[in-house]
Amino acid sequence: MATRKKSLLKVIILGDSSVGKTSLMNQYVNKRFSNQYKATIGADFCTKEVVVNDRVVTMQIWDTAGQERFQSLGVAFYRGADCCVLVYDVTAPNSFKNLDSWRDEFLIQASPRDPEHFPFVVLGNKVDLDNRQVSTRRAQQWCQSKNDIPYYETSAKEGINVEMAFQTIAKNALEQETEAELINDFPDQIRLNSENNRPGNADNCQC
Amino acid sequence: MWIQPKELMLPLALWTGEMYSKYFVMQKRRGHGESRSLGSMLVSTYDSIRNTKPAPYRIVHQTSSSDVSYEIAIGITLDDIVKDWEWLQVNLFGVLNEMENDVEVTNFTIYKIKSLFTQNNQDNTGETPDFKVKTSQFRQIFKMPEEERLVNSYSATYIESKIPRQGQLYISLNHVCFYSYMLSQEIKLIIRFAELENISRSINTIYMKTANSMTYNFTLLFNLIEAHDLIEQLNKMAIQKLMHEPESPVVNHNPLNFVRFGAKASNKPVLLRDLTARQKSEEFRAYFHLPQREIIDGKIKADIWTPYSKRFNSGEIYLTTNFFCFRSDVKDLVSVVIPMKTIKSVEKKDDGQRRYDNQIVIFTSDNVPFIFAKIIDRKVLISKITDMLSSTDIPVNRERAKYDISWSKQTALLNTFKTQFSADIKKKQELKLARWEHHFRDFGRGISMFRTTDVINLIVEGIPDKLRQEIWLIFSGAIHDKENNPGLYEDLVEKAALLKNCAVHDEIDRDLPRSLPEHPAFQCTDGIGALRRVLQAYALHNSKVGYCQAMNIVTSVLLLFCDEENSFWMLAGLCENLLPDYYEDKVVGAQIDQGVLNELVDSHLHDLHDHLENLGVIKMISISWFLTIFMSVISYESSLQILDCFFYEGAKIIFMISLQIIEWNRDDLLKCQDDGEAMLVLQSFLEGIYNPEYQVPPSTDKRKMDRPQTQTVQTLIHEAYTKFGEEITQQRIEELRNKHRRLTFRQFDIDNEKIIVKAHVQNAYFDRAELHMLLSIIREEKLALKSVQQQQQKMQSYLSEAPQLLQSPTRSGPTDVMPGGGGCGRHQAYCINFEVFHTLFLELAPWRKCVAVDIAEKLFRLTDKKGNGYLDFGQLINAFGLVCSNKSIEKLKLLFMLHLPPLLTKAETVRSRRPRPATKDDAEEAIEAEDFFDEDASESIEALPSPSDHNFEALMNSTHHLHTLAGISGNTFMDLSRTTPNFSLNSNASSLAHRTSIFYVDLPAALHGTATCIEAGQDDDHDIGLRQQGRYESIDTFSDISDLGASRITPPPHASTSAVAGAAVAGTAADQMLNVETISNFSQISDLIAATGNERADSNATDTRSLGSLGYMLDQPDEGASAAGRQNVPNMRKENFGLLWQSIIEIMDCGQDEEMKRAYENLIELGNSNMKQQASLESFTQLNFGGSGDEQPDSNGNPTTPAAEPSSKTRLIVALEEEMRQAKLKAAGETGAATTTTSGGSSSSTNNSVAWHISINQFIATALTCERIDKAFQTCTNIVEQIEQLQKKRRKCLSTDYNY
Repeated sequence: MATRKKSLLKVIILGDSSVGKTSLMNQYVNKRFSNQYKATIGADFCTKEVVVNDRVVTMQIWDTAGQERFQSLGVAFYRGADCCVLVYDVTAPNSFKNLDSWRDEFLIQASPRDPEHFPFVVLGNKVDLDNRQVSTRRAQQWCQSKNDIPYYETSAKEGINVEMAFQTIAKNALEQETEAELINDFPDQIRLNSENNRPGNADNCQC
Repeated sequence: MWIQPKELMLPLALWTGEMYSKYFVMQKRRGHGESRSLGSMLVSTYDSIRNTKPAPYRIVHQTSSSDVSYEIAIGITLDDIVKDWEWLQVNLFGVLNEMENDVEVTNFTIYKIKSLFTQNNQDNTGETPDFKVKTSQFRQIFKMPEEERLVNSYSATYIESKIPRQGQLYISLNHVCFYSYMLSQEIKLIIRFAELENISRSINTIYMKTANSMTYNFTLLFNLIEAHDLIEQLNKMAIQKLMHEPESPVVNHNPLNFVRFGAKASNKPVLLRDLTARQKSEEFRAYFHLPQREIIDGKIKADIWTPYSKRFNSGEIYLTTNFFCFRSDVKDLVSVVIPMKTIKSVEKKDDGQRRYDNQIVIFTSDNVPFIFAKIIDRKVLISKITDMLSSTDIPVNRERAKYDISWSKQTALLNTFKTQFSADIKKKQELKLARWEHHFRDFGRGISMFRTTDVINLIVEGIPDKLRQEIWLIFSGAIHDKENNPGLYEDLVEKAALLKNCAVHDEIDRDLPRSLPEHPAFQCTDGIGALRRVLQAYALHNSKVGYCQAMNIVTSVLLLFCDEENSFWMLAGLCENLLPDYYEDKVVGAQIDQGVLNELVDSHLHDLHDHLENLGVIKMISISWFLTIFMSVISYESSLQILDCFFYEGAKIIFMISLQIIEWNRDDLLKCQDDGEAMLVLQSFLEGIYNPEYQVPPSTDKRKMDRPQTQTVQTLIHEAYTKFGEEITQQRIEELRNKHRRLTFRQFDIDNEKIIVKAHVQNAYFDRAELHMLLSIIREEKLALKSVQQQQQKMQSYLSEAPQLLQSPTRSGPTDVMPGGGGCGRHQAYCINFEVFHTLFLELAPWRKCVAVDIAEKLFRLTDKKGNGYLDFGQLINAFGLVCSNKSIEKLKLLFMLHLPPLLTKAETVRSRRPRPATKDDAEEAIEAEDFFDEDASESIEALPSPSDHNFEALMNSTHHLHTLAGISGNTFMDLSRTTPNFSLNSNASSLAHRTSIFYVDLPAALHGTATCIEAGQDDDHDIGLRQQGRYESIDTFSDISDLGASRITPPPHASTSAVAGAAVAGTAADQMLNVETISNFSQISDLIAATGNERADSNATDTRSLGSLGYMLDQPDEGASAAGRQNVPNMRKENFGLLWQSIIEIMDCGQDEEMKRAYENLIELGNSNMKQQASLESFTQLNFGGSGDEQPDSNGNPTTPAAEPSSKTRLIVALEEEMRQAKLKAAGETGAATTTTSGGSSSSTNNSVAWHISINQFIATALTCERIDKAFQTCTNIVEQIEQLQKKRRKCLSTDYNY
């Protein structure tokens, strides 16, 4: 496992397909909106330097594919994540409903040390659109029920709240960082082709 | 079985005669059967070592005058051979006796047998009798069902702890089996293909490793490669089967039944030939990019005349039903594909001047001649081609239904949206076009062009836009599918357009603008519409794939150059042939290829491999590379050229390019500290790849322009070919894919198991290791091949026994999606049906010894709350966990409930009374005893004093005290000691509603109603009964029961004095009466409802609902913690109790001792006294107080589980007290009921209350007084041990006979 400098934050963006994950990432990193993004296959990746609590940290933002059949690939991206951003589309109720399963899936696959207090941030995107279908109250209630996840309503197109949301993300990720002191306890993938590895070893992990 | 008569020189060696006649001997092979003499041991060892193992019985024909004998029949079993012997007796003995000399007799016999043999073999597939014998031996030894077909067997040595064992390796469709019998030591091994994790071979040994880390080494002297390849192939088939239909094993597909020409008829088994042909065909199809269904019919050596080089090239002709193909021996020198339907004529050419013999000329419909020479079997080939031509599939022009949809097929989008090239690039394009035209002149055009290295070179340089459609279509093979299915695309488009509310369509729609947004064609409706139609049509065409992101990106590029229909067929070819399984669930094909790439990196860029592996980079980057053929990571202009090569080369180009990209960035990658850095390195490199020969006007996306240019795509492709083109072949990729397919699936299993274990680790019974074991055994059992016939038989026997089960197990599968969204798929993988549950229960659970009642079936029905015939893993844990645990009281409670109706039906109790041969003596004893007590029932004890009110209150206080002592708390107990009925009701209502929400019953409302009823009841006793019954009309029966349960808990216990409480008692009394009587027999529920005016005739519905309520009662969280948790469990009737006791005896697996008999008597008496309720109370108290007082010291001295003892005793007492309180209330209710006898319902229930019955608490309390029962039920079963035993047994092929 590679050792990471303390000034690196790994942030994963999850959510249904076409809720605006790529747009949010690009709005934040490049301050630009385009309606010409291709659907993300596998994962996309950006970095940005941010100042949090007078510290300069590099934020690694991983933008993932939203379609369900790509979910099982998550393991490769999730490991060592410091914060997970759950995005839904305020005009698509289903994308809101699926937040639950995205969150569960992340916790299962990433196996963070302290799943109860792992920092999530929920973003309700596309608030610039008129046909809103998920109310702020409903979203807030859900966030409260999940250990008070911070909630922001954003528009990647108009750049509403994006900066602020990512500031929170960075801040929470950094807190997680200091708490966990960078001990990465994600179990290494079992390598079936190596001789010494037997399935029994899978039980030895601390997860 | 008659065989071709065979001469024998030594008819007696190794055989013993069994039956004799004048001319015939029936013999038995030594070493079969019981005889353990040295001789037979040696013979069987010899048999085992010899490659062909003879059948154990045979009939030999011999005459006294001749030394030569003839083997004329063989048999696997005595019955087989006796049948033949009898035939001889009837038909031959008489005739032969009349013959004059022995020669005539022999001739006649042999003639007769030969004709019998041919007659019997006419209907057959042409297996040799030897193989038939082997097949039946295989089935017999390994107890394989008829469906499991043997492919071949090999003589092999298995090395077990350094001792070599010689025997036979049997390879069947789903298993590798090994049997050895040496010096009276028998070894059987069964390995399922689906569980193989690793297969490899050395010079003379095949190594195999299974998912549970067992390794096997078999040494083969002959046919090693054949055996290995066969194992590989069958393993691949098994895993592909797992991928697509996980529930069913590989069964024999339609045999191919073709006759191969050019090769001598082989004596190999049919199935083996079939499989080999499949294997060969696969390689062949991949090479020529032919449709899936093409199977090689044969191949033959020949030379082809290539006009462009004016010479003959040696190679092989391949024939399939629809194609005539040629491939040169020198790799890639030349190959040709000629569709049969284009062949106009086939002629022999025998010009004298030619020095080559055996030439043929084939003319295609374009009048292009193809000359082949040096064909050895020319005649056969020509006749074969003629056959083929007559049987070629002719595409049917299907009559299409007309839909009311107007659309027009979009032509290649580039025709409308022309690329604006600079003059320079335009010139280059034209130059390319000219070169292609030139090439066509020399090598031909269309499908049947000569495919040579020249064409590869042209493709590598990039196909000009105008030709892309044509070349792509030909080389991808999509053209064949298209031509075979005219009109299909239009049909699909229209059907798809009519689909409404389709989730796949939503997904597609969302991605339409996100496919190739930079191209103007996809910024308007033309492109978007065409893209939608193609994707929707494909989702309909191949529902297994449906729509997967990345397909949109690929298709949009196709649409630029090809018309809609061609794009559709190319997409189909891509998904089904070129990138197998890529777009399926979990994108498994791409995941497998990630493994392949990883291994290729290891062998070609070894220094980088470990570093990349540590960073986990390959897994991250390659998915998008594979799924979009680089189109999502490299600019569209550049990726086009890779796509050109891809359609010609297939997936191997992706690997080559990937390796090249990684190699170019070697230094930068080595410097990377984490995955992100590596991603950035590769990302910026890929974005910098450009195509100088295909520059389009500056893109609007400025981000791309910022990147410095890195490499031209031409250099990339060129370098990739020169560096890796030689070493990475299709064949190598296929081999690696086989390996990684296994590993990927194994990894899926491991991941799944981990996640499921994680989800269930908080259960009450098993720890992590035990859960893992359980999962692995479930997986194995689900894969186990079972005879369909057996299953049907079993199923039928269940159906006749328990009609209620009919609905559940026959359902198709767990269709209703479980809560939890994304996780449902993986949990479903471990859902088990009744079949598997039954097997597991009988193999693992400590209650398997129970034969009188099919406990497994009852337990399954009790646990299967959804009633869909499947248990999820959590339910299984609960069921097994309790049975295997040491919680004696709960186990007894469960056992009690399993013997209640509707689980134990009347039919069963009646039937079990009839003497059965399988029933053990004890059980019969029990029945007799029961009958005996039946008569004695009248002698009930009546003279015992009843406890006064004062006594009662004291008891309650002591209960309280005991509870606190035992540290038992919880809702139920709290409710018990509450004085305000309202409050407790409410708290109960909420908790009940919470627990039972899955039943979709409006419980809170119902309970609220009850609450008000009871409050009202304080004013008017008279009304209560009616009003309560009124409620029952309106709500579901099930909620009645839980509702009753809830309200039952409410009676204020300190109610002895106050008037208010008295009214409440009366209120609950009416309720109570209903409760006891209703629940005491579930079948009465419907009666009751009918009596109160509700005409519910659906007794089945009642049945399942009451089942649900039983399940619910079992699940009450505080089960066993206090007696109150059990109080709504209905009472038991005598017939059921008889069986229950029998089950207990069977579970304990030893005869009844005195103590148990006494307990039984006690219980019977209790039941008797329950008939007269007032009396019962007294007798009960007396009995049990005496009992428990006596028992206490005994049990305390019991060393088995001293810690658990006090609490269980406490519970016991609590149970008794609770029981008494109940009885008291009941008694009070009796008077209430007497005054309010208003409806027929109560009169009918009065009848019932007189019947013999026993309550759960009485049962548990009494049963536990028996030391042996107590002990037996407190024994914990080690599930891991049980599973390991079972696994061992399975591998060694020992089966258990269940008592059905």
